Amino acid sequence: MYMHLEQCPRHLLVCEKSNFTNEKSRHGIHVQSHYFNYQVNMLIPECAVLPSELNALVNSFEKYYLVKNVPVYELVEQQFIDRFVKKGSVYALSYNTQIDQDNTVALLPTGTLILSVDKDTYEELGLEGKSSQYSHKAVMRYVITVDLKSLVPGTAKNKRVMWALKEKLLVKCDFLIMWNSPGDEDFSLSTHFEKYQCKEHAPAVSTKVLRDLPYPVIQSCDLRGNPEKSCDASEFMEWLGAVTSEIECNNEASNFLSTFCCPEPSSVMEKAYLCTVTGFLLPENICKLLEQLCHYFDEPKFAQWTSLTVHGFADSPVSWGSAEHGFHKGGENFYNFVVFKNRDYWLQMAVGSHDGCPP
Amino acid sequence: MACHERMEDDSGKYERIVHKNGSSYHYLKISLEFEEDTSIRLNSAQFKQLIISSLKQLFGEIGAALPFDVLQFEENTLSAVLRVYNRDLVKVWSALTLLGSYQSEMCAFRVQQVSPFLLALCGNSRT
Amino acid sequence: MAVFVDLNIRQTSDKNLLRKTIEIAAHLGYSTIAVNYVIEFQDKKQNFIKPIPVNDLFNSLPIVQGKSKPIRVLNRLTVVVSDAVQCIELRATSPHIRLYDIVAVLPKTEKLFHTACMTLDVDIICITVTEKQPFHFRRPPVSGAIERGIFFEIIYSHATKDSTMRRYTISNSLSLMQICKGKNVVLSSGAEKPLELRGPYDIANLGLLFGLSEGDAKAAVSTNCRAVILHGETRKTAMGVVYTMKKNQTLLDKEEDEVTHPLSKRMKT
Repeated sequence: MYMHLEQCPRHLLVCEKSNFTNEKSRHGIHVQSHYFNYQVNMLIPECAVLPSELNALVNSFEKYYLVKNVPVYELVEQQFIDRFVKKGSVYALSYNTQIDQDNTVALLPTGTLILSVDKDTYEELGLEGKSSQYSHKAVMRYVITVDLKSLVPGTAKNKRVMWALKEKLLVKCDFLIMWNSPGDEDFSLSTHFEKYQCKEHAPAVSTKVLRDLPYPVIQSCDLRGNPEKSCDASEFMEWLGAVTSEIECNNEASNFLSTFCCPEPSSVMEKAYLCTVTGFLLPENICKLLEQLCHYFDEPKFAQWTSLTVHGFADSPVSWGSAEHGFHKGGENFYNFVVFKNRDYWLQMAVGSHDGCPP
Repeated sequence: MACHERMEDDSGKYERIVHKNGSSYHYLKISLEFEEDTSIRLNSAQFKQLIISSLKQLFGEIGAALPFDVLQFEENTLSAVLRVYNRDLVKVWSALTLLGSYQSEMCAFRVQQVSPFLLALCGNSRT
Repeated sequence: MAVFVDLNIRQTSDKNLLRKTIEIAAHLGYSTIAVNYVIEFQDKKQNFIKPIPVNDLFNSLPIVQGKSKPIRVLNRLTVVVSDAVQCIELRATSPHIRLYDIVAVLPKTEKLFHTACMTLDVDIICITVTEKQPFHFRRPPVSGAIERGIFFEIIYSHATKDSTMRRYTISNSLSLMQICKGKNVVLSSGAEKPLELRGPYDIANLGLLFGLSEGDAKAAVSTNCRAVILHGETRKTAMGVVYTMKKNQTLLDKEEDEVTHPLSKRMKT
């Protein structure tokens, strides 16, 4: 009977290695298609002061809005589509909604509106959707997808969506919302949503300099490590997790409390710069940061590599692209770049049990 | 368990490995709560001992022998990060859940986050 | 999955304590809780208690952790029956029953368990966790209850207090699972104090120890509880009196409504 006590929820980790100069490298696509980012961590070894270019980028993450109690039909209104969705890219994610319990709504920059709703809401709305992949025996969650860009005003479909969200059942959420526009525009989100409580937020930046840090030796060419020469990608990732959470990693095997130690072979860095940005972060900003991290090695540096970790929102209805994301015991969906001196990179993408395999 | 594909393109450098349940560990971010007016203090060793005794209460000697690490402990808030083997996750977690008292004072473990990735603990949008 | 629910927070005369416990439930991520009023007919004349209106407890309900919504508070009645005569009080037309959103029964004998499963108009059948299971669970009544949309409840707070109770809780629930195969089970706290409560994900994990599968265990604190609440709503409406309430009528109005129209009037039908 107790067989299942030994089991744990499934999780996936994809490790890739390539080079930024490689034409086929998909690093940009992976960053661009991970739409909803909550936190970025950047670690630069042997560095105590951030170079000005990087510092500028870290502090130039776009501001975002938190709009309270917005009816979802507002996102389907023609005026909103014409003003924002069709000009540039809108990122919107319902805030304070939990994907394993509540109705969750997301507007992707592609113009796709995703409503991940519970059974009751689904039945009342009467819009066409698919059952969630992560349902238990009885289907309790449905995913409705509406392509706003192809929605023609006045058509039956448009009217039906509008009627369902406005007359049939007024679905309301708080939204984190951001608009990445190509240039100067006549409208802003804050004026568009002025009848709702709309507040601008700037991402929070915190920095720290760590001293005398043991670190695992890694080699860009060797993703799976080599017992004598270097550590593998997942060992490195665990170590990186310890560093960002400020966990001590030089324990003895005989230590009562913890036997956790830095993977071998290891070395010690004198100092390291750790920088964290938290908020509702645009993939475009992350792309720029990644690009600048490559340029970090334009001038000679002591560091052999730098790393950039990006955490997605645990309650986003998608992880990469339009792949469905869920929350079981956790909702992790994150990726980490290790940028090497020679422009090689490692990309690690991780998800929990209610997610498909990362791209 | 890992499957592996190598793309033999011009550079020959691209490599991709997919680890299914690759991590041997799960990490738990927890804290211990007492009644508001408690005078109880615990140091890190007592804290770990308490978890071991909760395992012993529920699973006997085998439970008490399950290896796990207290990666981090904060004495003021009685919060900690644990590392347990995947196969022990359910046992350690349920032992924490069923612990109800320490030195005859009521207490409860609150589990803030559970993840197979240590790195996920710093970027949790739910907290 | 649906929102997390704790269908059993013990009612106490200490309003402050009850308030505190509900606040912590909201903090732990429960979107709905039920305050449980328990009646035992041991003393000859145990009277029904009228549930405390929610606005007597809170001016504004506590907000559920990580959400923008306040917690939903329901009232539940649990009747402990050791004699068939006591079941009469559980008739749907009983005026007391109507005051509660959910009705549960704790049958003390196999015969009463059978009656509860097959005929009684209840939403929940409680499983004893404070003593050794006094009778065998048999397939016919258990399947009968499942077919009628009734749920079995296992309370976990006793298991945190004492090792004997812990053994009873686990072994009684394992015997139940042998027969019900994890179907129609709800897990609730039965807590009287904040520190007796555990988080919903903790309970979803604990369910594995009680013999539930991953999915069934999470359903036992969410989807299944939703089904219990719906069952309670239909029981209320299906009892012969049509129950109507204006859509935007507040709870307060409803309360007054009940005062102005004597209950006896409704009972006639």
